Amino acid sequence: MHMDKLKELIFEYGKNEGFTDMEVYYESSSSFSCKVFKGEIDDYSISKEGGIAFRGALNNRMGYSYTEKVDESAIKVLIKIAKENAQIIENEEEEIIFKGSQKYEDTDLYSGGLAEISTDKKLNFIKELEKEAYSMDKRVININNCIYSDHENERRIYNTKGLNKNEKSNVVFSYISAVVQENSDIQSADAFKIYRDFKDFNAGFLAKRVVDKALSYLGAKPVESKIYTILLENIASANLLETFAGIFSADNVQKGRSLLKNKLGEAIGSISLNIIDDPFMVDGVASRSFDSEGVASERISLVEEGILQCLLHNLRTAKKDGVESTGHGYKASYKGTMTVAPSNLYIQPGLNTYEDMISSMNEGLVITELQGLHSGANTVSGDFSLAARGYYVKDGKIENPVNQITIAGNFYEVLKNIEIIGEDLMFAMPNAAYIGSPSLKIKNIAVAGE
Amino acid sequence: MLDQRLIEDIIMVALSTGGDFAEIFVEDKYNTEITMIGGKVENSISGRDFGIGIRIFKGFNSVYAYTNQHNRDALIDTAIKAGDAIRGTKQDVVLNFIKYNYKNINPIEYLPNKISKNKKVDIIREAYEAADNYSDSISQVIVRYLDYNQNILVANSEGRFAEDERVRTRIAIQSIASRNNEMQTGSCSPGAHMGFEFYDKIDVKQYGKEASRIAVTMLDAKPCPSGRFPVIIDNKFGGVIFHEACGHGLEATSVAKKSSVFADKMGKQVATNIVTFIDDGTIPNAWGSSNIDDEGEPTKKNILIEDGILKGYMIDKLNAGRMGMDVTGSARRQSYKFAPTSRMTNTYIATGKSTPKEIICNTEFGIYAKYMGGGSVNTATGDFNFAVMEGYLVKDGKMGKPVRGATLIGNGPDILYKIDMIGNNLEYGQGMCGSVSGSVPTNVGQPMIRVSEITVGGRSEEK
Repeated sequence: MHMDKLKELIFEYGKNEGFTDMEVYYESSSSFSCKVFKGEIDDYSISKEGGIAFRGALNNRMGYSYTEKVDESAIKVLIKIAKENAQIIENEEEEIIFKGSQKYEDTDLYSGGLAEISTDKKLNFIKELEKEAYSMDKRVININNCIYSDHENERRIYNTKGLNKNEKSNVVFSYISAVVQENSDIQSADAFKIYRDFKDFNAGFLAKRVVDKALSYLGAKPVESKIYTILLENIASANLLETFAGIFSADNVQKGRSLLKNKLGEAIGSISLNIIDDPFMVDGVASRSFDSEGVASERISLVEEGILQCLLHNLRTAKKDGVESTGHGYKASYKGTMTVAPSNLYIQPGLNTYEDMISSMNEGLVITELQGLHSGANTVSGDFSLAARGYYVKDGKIENPVNQITIAGNFYEVLKNIEIIGEDLMFAMPNAAYIGSPSLKIKNIAVAGE
Repeated sequence: MLDQRLIEDIIMVALSTGGDFAEIFVEDKYNTEITMIGGKVENSISGRDFGIGIRIFKGFNSVYAYTNQHNRDALIDTAIKAGDAIRGTKQDVVLNFIKYNYKNINPIEYLPNKISKNKKVDIIREAYEAADNYSDSISQVIVRYLDYNQNILVANSEGRFAEDERVRTRIAIQSIASRNNEMQTGSCSPGAHMGFEFYDKIDVKQYGKEASRIAVTMLDAKPCPSGRFPVIIDNKFGGVIFHEACGHGLEATSVAKKSSVFADKMGKQVATNIVTFIDDGTIPNAWGSSNIDDEGEPTKKNILIEDGILKGYMIDKLNAGRMGMDVTGSARRQSYKFAPTSRMTNTYIATGKSTPKEIICNTEFGIYAKYMGGGSVNTATGDFNFAVMEGYLVKDGKMGKPVRGATLIGNGPDILYKIDMIGNNLEYGQGMCGSVSGSVPTNVGQPMIRVSEITVGGRSEEK
């Protein structure tokens, strides 16, 4: 059945059941992915899926429900479940069904060219990527992941206050991981690229990057346990920022899960630190013209010269703080309830080259990779202790690769201990949001090794 | 769940381009999630996941397609598109489904959807109040309640036709303790392959108190020292070390392509001879159990390492072909959106001979990890890391002060040779394990163990 018709039936049935304001959120997506192993297509996957979510206010309490089995018979169940859910809600801060913003920015997130690329072309690219990686060096013993995927998504919000918004986007993604061996020493590395268009891919570039990186770890060993100054490479830094990005959510601040409470207008980072959330970034995977509540997106500065300027808000958190929503209402999918999340959030790059930053270190570590971010970082306290890899730097030069170490610190302290910011902004693999950082030189990091 | 005639037609269409095996997976799942924050039900969402996955093999090539459109035309169209990826000549296939019968090892007393939401809220509140009342230092408590009822059907071109119902119930309590401008957390998240009867079997108040006790203890803890020391890891979720250090490396997913450090080690010694490591999907009503796996094979008790010798891997159908070995009932997937592959179910170190007291008394200096957080592993190198949620110093054979912020890192094959004591107090903990076929519920378990030396990453230079 057509969505326009279905949503009318849902609203009608919901009204009869006592719901006042209601919303129907619809998402559909399709994807293609393939994986190659030793020249053969090892994995090939296609999908087409979607679901609808219902959200409605019953005596000012918001009830949620969703279904992936979309047909007329689902309507009754959707409303019944949402009603049950609304009846147990106790939080009095009401969620708002939004009538719409004055103005929405135009965004162009869909590449028609990408949709027309043939499957053969995609398969050829991924085979070429694997071949290139094997041919780079004879110490490459295994390309254990060589993946291409593309994804197309459309979301729609309709509500009883007259809002009717939709947006379509697509992205293309490639990931490769390589295992190298010299004698009994085995090392691995990975690399990825995300674009809006297929033509931007360059197999040679990606293959060289992953193999160079894996080879650079051969002979890695732990370093002496002590306090170091580190150069946290861009992607590792973006991963760390992504882990702690939740501290900027007004929802977390209001619920006592972020230490940024009452910190607006105060210095929370070094004077060179600027953090921006830009939903209109051209290559931003999380770019959008409206958020999950239908509020128009806007570009905001969270931190300027180290001073906390604002938090990320949805309609409910904004009402509680007496401010306007910043357009960061977020639902993971039609299966989620309303929270707050960044769009494309990044630390603004500085002017320093990577090489200059290394030359400026007497003794220190370059940290290229962090592991265990889901477990070794406490997003409430800011404490982290993470397995890491990288290189040892002495007298401004890289001496040897390093592994089997951990770096430990506190994220709130890290923000203040940033000494130099690089020019090399890069983004981490996207999750709920798309988070980026340049390489950062940070003092006072506890390193455990030997 | 889906008409048998339609299933037959889908499989025939899927094989029409020369595939030599086709499988259909149908999933119909009801989820409920309720969150209480600060004593108030903050949100409650429930819904239905429904979808169909079609898998085709030709040799070792595999094609997977999924959709949640459920009408005949859309499904046949999906099968055609999947078949397009296979280029061969059609083989003669005769389909003869035999319904696979088994004894239900995971009986359910109260299906979650038969229980009112108010009753669920009562349980949440009980846990909340126990956690909140534990101490004045507790500044926030978040309780997440989850239940689901997943019905699956697997049918394949070899005639397998099997159904299973998985009902899982879990409550996750997170307490935050605050003092000045500092916060620490503690959490407990018990779960089982059970319905609402789970709450007759456990006392959620105990778990609430325990979560708060951890948070308050950590508020008083000093930063953990860094360096290489003996580490004692207690039972239950402590087993996450083996899950990461060697469990993932024993999954066919990485063994078949020889990208695991445990490939080609069958029958060889891989650990000290006191180590026996088992994956058992048949433990009645355990969090990681199911009657059949997601390829329709019965789950099994698989001995992976016995007295230090590598005895087996966890193997799914596709990799069984690659490895020339039998399947082990280990194929799992998060949902119809994932092709299944070999995964852990309930994985544990078998019980040993030492008492916990003996282990601590015999340790001159080290770290005692009472509760572990999660971790991860690079299966290619065997390097793993995991976080200690609640830790203590051990000095002169006695438990010392609590320490915070410790991460343990090491190398899987290496650490297996450093296990020098195993306790007699085997218990399990529940987790969600994320890998290629998505996030699946897994039990980890062990008795208390001691590792003679492991790198501890903390923030203090003092010992």
